[in-house]
Amino acid sequence: MRKIIQILACSFLALIIVIPGKLIAQTDSSSKSEGKEASTYAPLITFISVQKNDNSIDLKATVQAKIGGTLTKLAGLKIEFTIGADSTAKKLGETITDSRGVAIFTCKPDQLTTDKEGKLNFKASFAGKDSIESAEELVSVKRARLEITPLKEDSLLTVKVKLIDLSTGAEAAVPETDLGVFVKRLFSSLKLGEGKTDEAGEASIEIPNNLPGDAKGNITLLAKLDEHEVYGNLEAAVTQSWGIPVSDELKELPRALWSSHPPIWMLVTFIVLMTAVWGHYIVIIFELFRLRKEEPKTT
Amino acid sequence: MQLNSFQQQALDKQRPTIEKFGRKSWAWTIFFLLWIIVGGYALYLQIADGHIVTGMRDNVVWGLYIANFIFFIGISYAGAVISGILHILKVEWRKPIIRIAEMITVISTIIGPVFILLCVGRLDRLHHLILYPRLQSPITWDVLAISTYFTGSVIFLYLATIKDFAIYRDAKLKVPKWRQKLYKILAIGYRGTPSQKKHISISMNLMAIIIIPLAIIVHSVLSWIFGMTLRPGWHSTIFGPYFVLAAIYSGTGVLIMAMWVYRKMYKLYDYIQDKHFIYLGYIMLVLGAAYGYFTFSEYLTDWFGSEKWNSEVIHKLFSFSEYGWWFLFANVAGILLPIFIVAFPKTRKPGWIALASLFMVAALWVKRYLIIVPTLESPLLPMQDIRLEYVKYSPTWVEWALTFAGIATFFLFFTLMSKFMTIIPISEFGDKEKTDEKITKPEAEVVPA
Repeated sequence: MRKIIQILACSFLALIIVIPGKLIAQTDSSSKSEGKEASTYAPLITFISVQKNDNSIDLKATVQAKIGGTLTKLAGLKIEFTIGADSTAKKLGETITDSRGVAIFTCKPDQLTTDKEGKLNFKASFAGKDSIESAEELVSVKRARLEITPLKEDSLLTVKVKLIDLSTGAEAAVPETDLGVFVKRLFSSLKLGEGKTDEAGEASIEIPNNLPGDAKGNITLLAKLDEHEVYGNLEAAVTQSWGIPVSDELKELPRALWSSHPPIWMLVTFIVLMTAVWGHYIVIIFELFRLRKEEPKTT
Repeated sequence: MQLNSFQQQALDKQRPTIEKFGRKSWAWTIFFLLWIIVGGYALYLQIADGHIVTGMRDNVVWGLYIANFIFFIGISYAGAVISGILHILKVEWRKPIIRIAEMITVISTIIGPVFILLCVGRLDRLHHLILYPRLQSPITWDVLAISTYFTGSVIFLYLATIKDFAIYRDAKLKVPKWRQKLYKILAIGYRGTPSQKKHISISMNLMAIIIIPLAIIVHSVLSWIFGMTLRPGWHSTIFGPYFVLAAIYSGTGVLIMAMWVYRKMYKLYDYIQDKHFIYLGYIMLVLGAAYGYFTFSEYLTDWFGSEKWNSEVIHKLFSFSEYGWWFLFANVAGILLPIFIVAFPKTRKPGWIALASLFMVAALWVKRYLIIVPTLESPLLPMQDIRLEYVKYSPTWVEWALTFAGIATFFLFFTLMSKFMTIIPISEFGDKEKTDEKITKPEAEVVPA
């Protein structure tokens, strides 16, 4: 019997030691294949500029590399942004890529210098690190600005957008260009409408009057020109109290099958049943204690 | 404690069984341990490599393990309901068989939930069930119900054994000292005084009353895990009583089989008599008929409704190229065979009834499999261009090994428990039996070829 107990105890101990070890090992299984990949990776930089209506420019570089057959976004890489041609290039600043592999640098108006053609030449470059090779990408755009003006006539809400070319030093309207109007939502922007600029460089786009806003009813309207061959990306934003106020305070959900709190009847049933059963058990255990107490002293 | 002549006779008869762990017992134990070791290796593989070593995939997420879980919880009804009801009704003939029934209850309530653990993919998050329970979830109900039921079963078995522990303590059994000490502890000072008898009697009555609704709730909750989902073949209002009935039915079958084995193995013909088989046979007949009625009602309703998804499951159950043969076996061996064997006087004999129970229990296991798998193989969303093994479930050797390890554990626990306490409760042969119960040699047993 003692031997059986010893064998069982040893088996139990072995299980206790082996099982957690294997469970921990399981989590590492995904990384096994990665070690067999190539020793260096050639990153790919996707680089865009976004000209804002406050005359600043956002430079956005996304860094990815093909690892294990899939494009993987690379985080923690230092990206340097410069402006100007190679010989006269001026460093603007550096940013580290985030978990999405994105590095964003906001370029102030006084940092901007144009070439002879009135173009802004930006460069995003990565110097290389460990197993990741160096890479760079250029963007060349003409200076421009989007202006956004909200208009309200009775219940009709309209957004007037104007596209202005600034490359020559003077302001010039840009006609025949497609623009979009969006409203900023929690994760991305929702398109409300689009229009084409007229000879004055203006487009009027009607928007709905029942958009949910924040607690005060504010909504942020965006005018966008995306991936234009001359101006790149342009954006203008304005906040307007045209939305329906929606409180962001969490209201307590009603007691229901699907909510975090069970219905009262369910709770009551549960408590009654468990009390009845465990109450019986307690009475029985109490009876057994009394039985033990009543053992005759001399037998 | 003073024993009357019937009690002394019962103790003398069973003394060698609990005093000696003979060669046969060792052989049995080693045999079951080998099964369990194979199961242990399968478990190691499952933990090391994950559930990919089983036949379960995204679509069919439940298989053999859940069928085993329902099966074992079902047979635990043998002790809970049968001995509970017979105790309340003060049926005298129950006395020699209640120990077996209660042992079945406790052991199967231990083994059943283990299969749930085998089925769970992330055992490392098991404690979340306790830390973040949702009272609205049938899974939470199940955890609470089964743990409460297990506690009740252990208390019930213990209450019914206290008097026997006192007898073992005073009988000077030739057992190791640790066992003598254990008997003394478990007897909790019982000396058979009238007030002590009263405490046991109150406790037993309380337990017998509460264990019946508790057992019904446990198996109803188990059925609601299926019935509360909008799946074809599961979403049925009669699933609760249907499961309860099937559980009592299969529990009775296992009890009859265990009685037959113990009677044969330890020559307990004086105690487990033919009449016990016949009475339990009658119970089995009634339960079988009721179970057959529920089965017919369930499938007729689904078939008549011709609802698309239900029809698909019905088609699978009736198609001989899919589950037709299994479905036929589940109904013939699970319903018709026990009814016919008990109904005819010629076959109303212990051997035949035990054989019918064996087939019935196997059929009820198949039935549990047929409740789970064909439904999961009928997804509510059409699946296109998907690998066959994701749609069609077939158990792997790992699942079979763990299933047989579970069965081996059941037998092993039974063997060990029957070496620790007598199969026939000695204390039950009190004064009443001197006049009411006439212990006679049984008639020649008819065993089917």
